Amino acid sequence: MHKEPSKVHTISIFTTALDQLRSSVLKMSSLAQLNLKNSIKGLLERDDDWCNNSIADDEEIDLLEMQIDHEGIEVMSRFQPVASDLREVISSIKIGANIERVADQAVNIARRARKLNEHPQLPELHLLDRPIRLALTMFDDAVRSFAERNATLAVELKSRDKELDQLNRELTDVLINRMQDDSANLPSYLNLIFISRCLERIGDHACNIAEDIVFAVSAQDIRHPSKQQ
Amino acid sequence: MTTEASQHPLELTNDFAPGESNFIKVDNFKFFYGKKEALHGINLEIPSRKVTAFIGPSGCGKSTLLRNFNRMNELIPGVHHEGDITIHGTSIYDPSVEIIALRRRIGMVFQKSNPFPMSIFENIVYPLRIAGQNTRSVLEETVERCLRSAALWDEVKDRLHDSALGLSGGQMQRLCIARAVASRPEILLMDEPCSALDPIATAKVEELIIELKKDFTIVIVTHNMQQASRVSELTAFFYLGNLVEFDNTRKIFTNPSMKQTEEYITGRFG
Repeated sequence: MHKEPSKVHTISIFTTALDQLRSSVLKMSSLAQLNLKNSIKGLLERDDDWCNNSIADDEEIDLLEMQIDHEGIEVMSRFQPVASDLREVISSIKIGANIERVADQAVNIARRARKLNEHPQLPELHLLDRPIRLALTMFDDAVRSFAERNATLAVELKSRDKELDQLNRELTDVLINRMQDDSANLPSYLNLIFISRCLERIGDHACNIAEDIVFAVSAQDIRHPSKQQ
Repeated sequence: MTTEASQHPLELTNDFAPGESNFIKVDNFKFFYGKKEALHGINLEIPSRKVTAFIGPSGCGKSTLLRNFNRMNELIPGVHHEGDITIHGTSIYDPSVEIIALRRRIGMVFQKSNPFPMSIFENIVYPLRIAGQNTRSVLEETVERCLRSAALWDEVKDRLHDSALGLSGGQMQRLCIARAVASRPEILLMDEPCSALDPIATAKVEELIIELKKDFTIVIVTHNMQQASRVSELTAFFYLGNLVEFDNTRKIFTNPSMKQTEEYITGRFG
């Protein structure tokens, strides 16, 4: 399902504009990957500095989201793209919005981690290991799918999202039970539940990105399969 | 196929696929200018009361095919063809078919507007007069009907007997469309009808094309791909005398099946 346009446009500035848009999406995704990893580091190593870095760097990602929108609109208004070019522009704008939300979840995790760091570490923190690994891998693979125009890898992300959803539900049940036995640490348990929820949302955004990549590469709409004819 | 929710505004309620309700059928058609083969075995079925766009680079054969539908190419010395073109199942090359009668059924609009050097009124009624119709009331009814069809009535109704050559470029082209529909043809062929017009005149002609498809089968040759995507329901892409792809316009401009089509419409050609 790999599909790479075989030739450059006759109008070279059209190719340049599309390359610029793609490059902005890749830059934004690298920054979001870094921010997410910094948040997780701040959480697992109980280090506020990593958390603060992640929160501070979110601004650049917000600016890049707007830049991608502007670049996409400019390509549409100047070159009236069609077919694979049009799908690429539409998908890039939508992917930009999803990356921005992943970065917002990284900020949410960093803020919750700072609150957790104010109290002694709960042993239940390591219950987050699996969902963290899964969410990070899903987002990394979504970015890789975009970089490689790999729709096969993108499709595969949908099944992993179900696993992440299930982990979030199980973890929430466990932590609610612990709250009842250990009410002194209730705020920290709540923060762990919120972080688990953030990881689950990152999986959703990775899936959304994957759907847009499949559309860009193969023109298939794989959203809401039960509602399609 | 598509769902109703995502219906393209120009499409009919039901999805249409090539092959339905065929009207003009091109059957393994080859066309030669002398020894040069300009069309290589074209097979195509054009439905009635739809707009079908022919796109492709210069020299690909799209205008050549269009001009065969009313046998205009036969005016060029040394041409010949193989294969067949049928309209409503009857070959246009059948010995019983009179070329004048055929051309009365198939109106044509050219790239450059070509009003006759006479009044607006006389331009419209010209096809009727040469067919022997001179009854004043019939002529007047035809002029009003055709000018209204061409969305020109309100602009010229007070100067019908002024020279047609005093109209603007866009008005002249719409006058030619009005004249083309005066003999009540079934098919309207348009060979780059907007290429010499400004954007406003182009928009008016495009609006007219969409309106006229209720009554006519329209085939339009255009180099303007946005125009093809705006006005047509079906698009045929030609390259080097071959029909590369023929499909619903939305499919052609969002996800064409053939790599050559994709490269052409996205501007990656040459």
